[in-house]
Amino acid sequence: MKFSSRFPILQVGVIAGVAYASAVVYVVAANSPKAAPAPVDHGGATYVGEAVCIACHATQNNQFMHTAHANAFRLNPKNEAQKVSCESCHGPGSNHLKDPISPSNRGSLVGFTKEWGTPIEKQNAMCLTCHQGEQRMFWPGSAHATQNLACSDCHNPMAKLSETGLLKKATINETCYTCHQQQRAEFAKRSHMPLPEGKMSCVDCHNPHGSTTKPALKADSVNELCYNCHTEKRGPFLWEHAPVRENCLTCHNAHGSNHDKLLTVARPFSCQQCHGNPGHQTTFFNAGQSVGGGAGVNSRVLGRSCQTCHSQVHGSNHPAGARFQR
Amino acid sequence: MKTHPRIPLRAVVSCLGVALASTAAATPFADSATGVGTVLGNTMSASTTKARPQDPAWEKAKHTPTGQMYQLPFAMPKAEDIKKLASGWEYSGQVEVGFVGGDVDERNAQFRMYQDPDNGAYVNNFSLQMKKPAGGYFVELTGGGAGQHDQYYGLQFGRYNDWKVKLYFSETPHVFTDRYRTLWSGLGTGTLTLLPGLTPGGTASTAVDNASVASVIANTPLTTLSLVRKRSGVRLDADLSKTWKGYVSYALEKRQGARPFGAVWGNNPGNTPMEVAEPVDYSTHDVLAGVSHVSGQNAFNFRVSASIFQNHISTLTFEEPYRIANVAGVTTVPAAGAFTQGRMDLAPSNQAYNARAEYTRAMPDFYRSYLTAVVSFGRWRQDDSLIPYTSIPGIALANVTLLPGGGWDTTGSLSRQTTGASVDTRLLDLTYSINPSSDLNLKAKARYYETDNNTDPFLAVNPNAVYTDADATTAGNQTRGLTYEGLTGVWGRLLNDGSGQSVLLGANANPAGNVAIRSSPFGNKQFKFGPSADYRLNKISTANLSIDREINARENRERDRTWEDRAKLGYVNRGLKNSSLRVSYEYGQRRGSDYNSTYYDENFSSALFPIPTAAGTNVTSWAVRGNNGMRAIDLADRDQHVVNVRLDTMLRTNLDAGLSLQGREAEYPNTTYGLTGHSQRSANIDLNYQPSPKQTIYAFYSYQLGRLRQHSISSQGGAAVTIGAVTPLGTITPANAIEIGQAPGGPIFPLLNAWTVRSTDRNHLAGFGLKQELGKGAILNVDYSYSIGRTRIGYTYNVGGAINAANAVFAGDRMPDLATDVGFLDASLSIPLTPRISARLFYRYQKESIRDWHYRNLAATPIVPGANAAALPNVLMLDAGPDDYRVNWYGVTVQLKL
Repeated sequence: MKFSSRFPILQVGVIAGVAYASAVVYVVAANSPKAAPAPVDHGGATYVGEAVCIACHATQNNQFMHTAHANAFRLNPKNEAQKVSCESCHGPGSNHLKDPISPSNRGSLVGFTKEWGTPIEKQNAMCLTCHQGEQRMFWPGSAHATQNLACSDCHNPMAKLSETGLLKKATINETCYTCHQQQRAEFAKRSHMPLPEGKMSCVDCHNPHGSTTKPALKADSVNELCYNCHTEKRGPFLWEHAPVRENCLTCHNAHGSNHDKLLTVARPFSCQQCHGNPGHQTTFFNAGQSVGGGAGVNSRVLGRSCQTCHSQVHGSNHPAGARFQR
Repeated sequence: MKTHPRIPLRAVVSCLGVALASTAAATPFADSATGVGTVLGNTMSASTTKARPQDPAWEKAKHTPTGQMYQLPFAMPKAEDIKKLASGWEYSGQVEVGFVGGDVDERNAQFRMYQDPDNGAYVNNFSLQMKKPAGGYFVELTGGGAGQHDQYYGLQFGRYNDWKVKLYFSETPHVFTDRYRTLWSGLGTGTLTLLPGLTPGGTASTAVDNASVASVIANTPLTTLSLVRKRSGVRLDADLSKTWKGYVSYALEKRQGARPFGAVWGNNPGNTPMEVAEPVDYSTHDVLAGVSHVSGQNAFNFRVSASIFQNHISTLTFEEPYRIANVAGVTTVPAAGAFTQGRMDLAPSNQAYNARAEYTRAMPDFYRSYLTAVVSFGRWRQDDSLIPYTSIPGIALANVTLLPGGGWDTTGSLSRQTTGASVDTRLLDLTYSINPSSDLNLKAKARYYETDNNTDPFLAVNPNAVYTDADATTAGNQTRGLTYEGLTGVWGRLLNDGSGQSVLLGANANPAGNVAIRSSPFGNKQFKFGPSADYRLNKISTANLSIDREINARENRERDRTWEDRAKLGYVNRGLKNSSLRVSYEYGQRRGSDYNSTYYDENFSSALFPIPTAAGTNVTSWAVRGNNGMRAIDLADRDQHVVNVRLDTMLRTNLDAGLSLQGREAEYPNTTYGLTGHSQRSANIDLNYQPSPKQTIYAFYSYQLGRLRQHSISSQGGAAVTIGAVTPLGTITPANAIEIGQAPGGPIFPLLNAWTVRSTDRNHLAGFGLKQELGKGAILNVDYSYSIGRTRIGYTYNVGGAINAANAVFAGDRMPDLATDVGFLDASLSIPLTPRISARLFYRYQKESIRDWHYRNLAATPIVPGANAAALPNVLMLDAGPDDYRVNWYGVTVQLKL
């Protein structure tokens, strides 16, 4: 595989890569390994037990007791850290008790709100104590991590704000929409995935905790993802359509569209973006060709347009299906 | 069409719900890493959830670390209020049942697209939560929409922090149209039989056939084409040890119904295309199993999956209501009216398998670095038995003799009997991250992904047929047929169950029409790599930079290789007193190897013959595959800019605002024809106000502007490519015929015929909502949104070029706007009657108006006529398309708490 190009951005990339490698080599060669990071510094605080916490935070406890966290910690703890319940997430509380209401003492506990002000790294580290690996394998370096998001930007781990997932909003979709407003608008378009109707969620396609793909897809590629539900499109077919095999998003907007079938642009113009063969593929289709338009009606303007004849556009398994008509 | 009767579950589930009869709650089914079906709900779920009372003790609004306001939590039972059984089980639950009325029986396809409410008794939802503190066992049950096609149920049980089993069932309707005019019985099956009054293969009089079709359409009620997706599954998750977890799941999804489809038939390129109904009877079995391990600095995931798709209806045979004449070179028995039906080969059953391993090694002692590696292997395969070229028996071709067993309606006419298709997928993904200092993180990423298509090209040849004469255009003895890629026979395919023009007919055969004779299996190798850096500027802000290159090497495409370089710069400041700001800019530049517009020539019949050299010979079929100035959109050079800005700010402690801006601009600098540019911009604002624990108000607005520009040249009116002809690009010779023939400005693509289309999408979405506690526990909840979508498609052309002056009068400068307006109002009032019983009144208003020129006047004109009453019609547009609706519906429900 040749990687050469004439473009300066690659040169920049190569230089950056070399610089990066040099930096790695430098730090490896010039520095002795650092010691492992110290455990989270709790300022010498000690655990006081959840009964002490609840004495003041009965309201919070009344919520917390209904969460998966509380049930796990209280009814079947797996280790000593889980047994301390509240303090397993907030840290040991003895220093907090010394001056519980002073803002200057907030550093004595890990808080998960903007008001409390615990650094994001410290918050997330506390969550990852238990939640590392599994579906969070790719959290470091993910789009959300790069944006310095805290786990608690999407979750509220100690209150019932959602039906599932201890989210900050009632549903997965509403939680995502708080930042991804553009997608909310797309789901309101004429053709859309059934999210507004409650039959799908953003997490059906995306892993908000990160994945190997840039848009945090729950599959190795766009097509592998789409095939989860559209298995009949998977093929492989006898006669294949090149852009269909490579990427469904060549023709479709996944979230929503002003056009039928989530298409990026109305047919027949959608097909004419690539098809310029002699004959009807290059025909200039126009308003005069719809019924009542006044000139000769063209079947390729009507209804499903090109797909009225080329109905097997995703691939045909018919021996005479080269044109996707059978 | 409703292919399956409703499951009479209402009464059953009502009884069950009442028997079980707090709080609506649902089971956490979401897994953000594996599988689909992460939610159980329907169109009523959001409304129901918002009607839940809030925790009256939770008085102060808090904010996420970014500064977005948390909503107030649901009111939950206090410990002393939780019911307990003598066995030690604690339980709570509720059921909400009632009646729905108004216009909700509306059948409009846009209204019912993904929802299925109906007038009458309605089990809105039910839930049960049980917990046995001794041992930590639990059972959770949820459900809703009982008996409707958007019903859902979930059951989960297990032991906290140890194991759990989840079972679920969910239905999703998908209504495509409620205005389909059928000509056939048997919708939803593999055989469409013409309704009484219509003659398969037509009569001797097309005028009579036209009248018969019109009569049937006029006298047949409109039909709904729809399908229902039913997904059920079971999953077991268990902690295998302190460091290992495992899971295994099975899901079965059934899809049944019918959807609009198209069929062309008759002479090449086809007469009277018509909309038929594709039957859908699918089953998909999904099996998933995996283990995960976390121990010290190591994390490991491994999973295997299998997806078995079965189409229980493999072909669709439809009778044709018109008579077509045999084309030149084709004879049939009977001589006229032999083409009575057509046959489609529907989506073949297929299988997919995947194994995937993920590993992370943290090295905290070495600059807090870590390595992540992913390896994934998969295979998609499909080996359906192939069907013959045509279902019409007795077809004979001029100059062709069929050998025994070589009939075109038999599989003896095929070059192979099964598809034999498979694609292997491979992924290797590596990330190494290191923190040279406490403020700097560096990463290097490399990703290789491949779809390796192992399918042999299909050759469209009848190996059991021979030409009766030698082919004069080819040297040597060809009496046994033409040989290509090791196969000898009669080439081409009988397309559309009647066409003879798609077969090379022997004597003096030439590739007229350039018949496709060979398929192209497509594959792709993608390699992406590059470094990134994240630097902490100070305590409150960071900057990040990433650079990467993505190389795509494609199999059987016009361009062997493309590469895209991207650089992205981002800035995050979340320490502003009351705000968080996130900004990023990305530039991408895609280029590639030489673009070969003639790449697919070897797949067409012109490859069987050398290009003629004699002066005056029309060589268009050899010379023209397409406009060589056109670039496929996924292969074209592209320059792209992407900007994202997001500001979250707490205007007051009880009022926050979120503002976001997105912009994406793409230009295709070396594309003269095809897609030459597109852009997408959006601006969004959200406001959330919580003046008191009893009142929550929100509002939002989004604006989107999408633009797209494309160009082409019409070949209409163009001249043939003739050896010796003088053109503006030079005198045509056998050596330059292909280049001149495909060139803009050549005889086929005169520049006068150039045209340009500009499509502009404009969308507005506005909404607001209110939740108000009215006293004595009564809660009013209102949600409203209104969406406006407009698409304007304008164009430019030369009069006398792409179209003539007479037609230009009607064409004007644009299509009628595509317009969609969608309004949604949901209001509910919950009134507690007793501590255990509350009533809820809800009202919902939904409207949509839609204008789509694709369907203009088709409701009144499903038969688009031909030249006259005795001519075959232009097309039968049997789906009248989407229509407006306006629905007012309401409900009265009672919620019983356990």
